[in-house]
Amino acid sequence: MGIEVKNLVKSFDENVVIDHLSFSVNRGETLAIIGFSGSGKSTVLKLICGLIPKDSGEIITSGDIAMVFQYSALIDSLNVYDNIAFALHERKDLRKKYTEPQIKSIVREKLALVGLAGIENKFPSELSGGMQKRVSFARAIVTEPDIILYDEPTAGLDPMSSTLIENYIVRLKEQTNAASIVVTHQMSTITRTADQVLMLYGGKCVFFGTPEELCRQDTPYTKQFVSASLEGPMKLNN
Amino acid sequence: MSALTFRGTVTYLIYRQLAKSFVSLVSTIGDIVQYGLYTLKYLFSGGVKRKELLDQCARFGVSSLPITLSIVGMSVVIVAMQVAGEMVKQGAGNFVGMLIAILVVREDGIIMSGFAIISMIGSSLASELATMRVTEQIDAIEVLKVNPIEYLFVPRVLSGILMMPPVLVVSSLVGIVGGGIASHLASGLSYKAYFDSVWNGLYMKDMNVALLKAVVFGFTIALISCTCGYTATGGARGVGQATTKAVVWSFMAMVVWDLIFALIFFF
Repeated sequence: MGIEVKNLVKSFDENVVIDHLSFSVNRGETLAIIGFSGSGKSTVLKLICGLIPKDSGEIITSGDIAMVFQYSALIDSLNVYDNIAFALHERKDLRKKYTEPQIKSIVREKLALVGLAGIENKFPSELSGGMQKRVSFARAIVTEPDIILYDEPTAGLDPMSSTLIENYIVRLKEQTNAASIVVTHQMSTITRTADQVLMLYGGKCVFFGTPEELCRQDTPYTKQFVSASLEGPMKLNN
Repeated sequence: MSALTFRGTVTYLIYRQLAKSFVSLVSTIGDIVQYGLYTLKYLFSGGVKRKELLDQCARFGVSSLPITLSIVGMSVVIVAMQVAGEMVKQGAGNFVGMLIAILVVREDGIIMSGFAIISMIGSSLASELATMRVTEQIDAIEVLKVNPIEYLFVPRVLSGILMMPPVLVVSSLVGIVGGGIASHLASGLSYKAYFDSVWNGLYMKDMNVALLKAVVFGFTIALISCTCGYTATGGARGVGQATTKAVVWSFMAMVVWDLIFALIFFF
């Protein structure tokens, strides 16, 4: 088992953002969480990795959690090498586990995995958005995590870079056998990377199924989402 | 007047704003104390990476030195130019050096250095951490299971503690020498008379208190600046607000500490 969420509730002031949400993701599986902006998708990820506290409910996770942030969140004062090696250098339980030559070899391996060999000395500001995203992938997998969370991994990227990122998500799942959650609202990311899809609206799950079931548009929610229509049960200001 | 009617009045809005300001004041003090205690805990319990500490020391001490020396030097020169001529005229030329030495060691050196450090380093620390906060870099550090207080606060606060005393010593020396040159040019007072008088005005207690002040000010400025940056919210506006808050709170804290030192050691 990778992640199990039971009856999760989270409010900000009086606004209930996540309302009794339950789902589970097994190892080697990818769940796409979709929904319109403000539906609480990113909040779910932040709750799972402990960045914000939950109000009630249960989040059961097994093993290390890594997260790829929407805007990469690379530490801009560190070069690519130090960004990827950050956890190995700074984490208390890993600090003395590896020697510097071992860390070098791990960083090179992870960079090669995301197709960016040889850019160790560059700083984040010298990289394109797509490259930053791939470096953040390498940073996320450096500790061999059991769970990988992706927050809108293809947001703001051109279609080709998006495809490249989607390929890396699939490849990382195959190589690490991690349980993955991808928050997205891009159809290509859903169909190419996800095994299951969960649609959020008003903090509640309004659809759970496979990408194929989503594309069949059998429910008013899936129909509205896939056709990107303003007419339907979901209102943008909610 | 019903409660509903009162909510719409100007008096209500003033009370509400005052209450908000009070809550913000208490919350900021709480944050500073909380992160200060965490920082001290990690400072004494964990190691600090030498490279990171050296980088922060270079930033705190070396990069701030030109502006600190200019501010302390200029302020002493301005005082000396105005005072030396008058004192020489009144036959008190032998006390000019003493006056300048006491002024620099007790107040001017540390306060002016503090102002320079807050403006240059405090604001830079706050904006750096605030930017890291709003761009999710601090979230990334947390997700990677690295303690952000230990990683971000400890080397910065320790560099403040370590570098403020040498900055004070160098800037005070420059101030006293600058005061001598200004006195000589303004009143014709000889350098020998000036520096003989300086020795009479240098008390060991004053110098020890000044160094202690430097340690406390360095700690306070770095801690407040890091805290304001770390707790920033929002986007670019939040970064600006955090920087302003760090500067204002550091100035206030420095003046309060100065008053406490004056009450303890010179009252």
